[in-house]
Amino acid sequence: MVASMKLIDLVENHAEKIAAQWAKIVVKNPFTPFYHDKPVEKLIPQAVRFYRNFRKLFLEPKPVEASDGYFTRYAEKRYKEGVPLQEAIYALILMRRQIWLYAEFQATFSTAVEKQQAIESVTRTMLMFDYAMYFITKKYRELMKLEWFEAPNT
Amino acid sequence: MSGSLKLVNLIETHAEPIARQWARDVRKNSRTPSYHGIPEDKLVPVGVKFYDNFKQMFFTDKPADTSQQYFARYAEENHARNIPLNEALYALIMMRRHIWLYAEFQTIFISAVEQKQAVDSLVRTILMFDYAIFFISQRYQELIRQSIEEKLGVVNVLRMESPPGTQQGPYKTAIMVALILGAFGLTYYYHAMLSQNIIFTHLLYIPIVLASIWWKKKGIFVAACLGGYLLLSHLLFLKGMPFTDDIIRAAMFLVIGTVVAFLSEGITRAEELYKSAN
Repeated sequence: MVASMKLIDLVENHAEKIAAQWAKIVVKNPFTPFYHDKPVEKLIPQAVRFYRNFRKLFLEPKPVEASDGYFTRYAEKRYKEGVPLQEAIYALILMRRQIWLYAEFQATFSTAVEKQQAIESVTRTMLMFDYAMYFITKKYRELMKLEWFEAPNT
Repeated sequence: MSGSLKLVNLIETHAEPIARQWARDVRKNSRTPSYHGIPEDKLVPVGVKFYDNFKQMFFTDKPADTSQQYFARYAEENHARNIPLNEALYALIMMRRHIWLYAEFQTIFISAVEQKQAVDSLVRTILMFDYAIFFISQRYQELIRQSIEEKLGVVNVLRMESPPGTQQGPYKTAIMVALILGAFGLTYYYHAMLSQNIIFTHLLYIPIVLASIWWKKKGIFVAACLGGYLLLSHLLFLKGMPFTDDIIRAAMFLVIGTVVAFLSEGITRAEELYKSAN
């Protein structure tokens, strides 16, 4: 856990810069066409919010509950904005990738010990994102109120 | 890339035991309840199939293109089993975790060089799974849309919903006028000619139900008309017979008409929600 502090500090201290890089990517990524005509300035705050919450989500002793609350709200917001589910998820994946790209760019993990820290950070981040995918898809389904038409349990 | 070979080889040679561990886990995980009732023997081949495809998806130059086909099929198979998207995704995430649990168990990444290989393998695996999550979500949305459109198609035949650019309003009115005239004639025939009050009134539910489906609350007017006509006809032609039965029948016309009208409004609202969500 302590090994991951380096990544958390980096994300927190550079939230705006990482968010700005993410916004530039998401407006042109072929998997996120919904975002292509959105002004970069309007997208940055949602990524900044995520990066600012990163420490809390990362260090939470009960990661499931913390992820549930945060990512359910994320799903609600994106749904209201009309973002298709797969794009809302992919935009979040790009936020995660941008952390690592920035960390790599900053050469945060270069020595052998730091490599071990990198593995720990990646594993911990992935755990958080695994829950994120689950809670976002679950919330989207509830919001779409498709149960009226769907076969049971679909 | 070559560093990842160790992981890929491990998966290839141990596909069956990894898949079995995954199957056991997915059958009791609290986030995958839809898998709990599926026998382990039916789940293991799903895991084996994924692990068998792993190498191909891992080493391709175009991971997005290669994985799209496989994960679209994964979505189709899970959708056909009535597994919700969130659970299908989580089951896949568990497949990935089991690779790592098994790899960790086999302690294949020990030295410093191997640690570097571990990072490479992690990054590559995660990239593949990022695409997987996108393609599965996308395919699920398409499949849900298809099944809703099919179901709406059946409902819309009864609702005589107009395809864009056509007008079916006049047909509905003509059919309704014919049905109401038929109902009036039938009532007259039984009351005035046969002096009977038998169960012919069941046939009057046809225009009542159709009117409520087509025009919702406005359609209740047809139920009121037919109920009123039934009572009037009784007063005129069946003077000596008890009035209670027809009062109950007329009241039931209104009840059924109202219930169907509200159901029809509910379907329309749900359809609008679905269309706005797409």
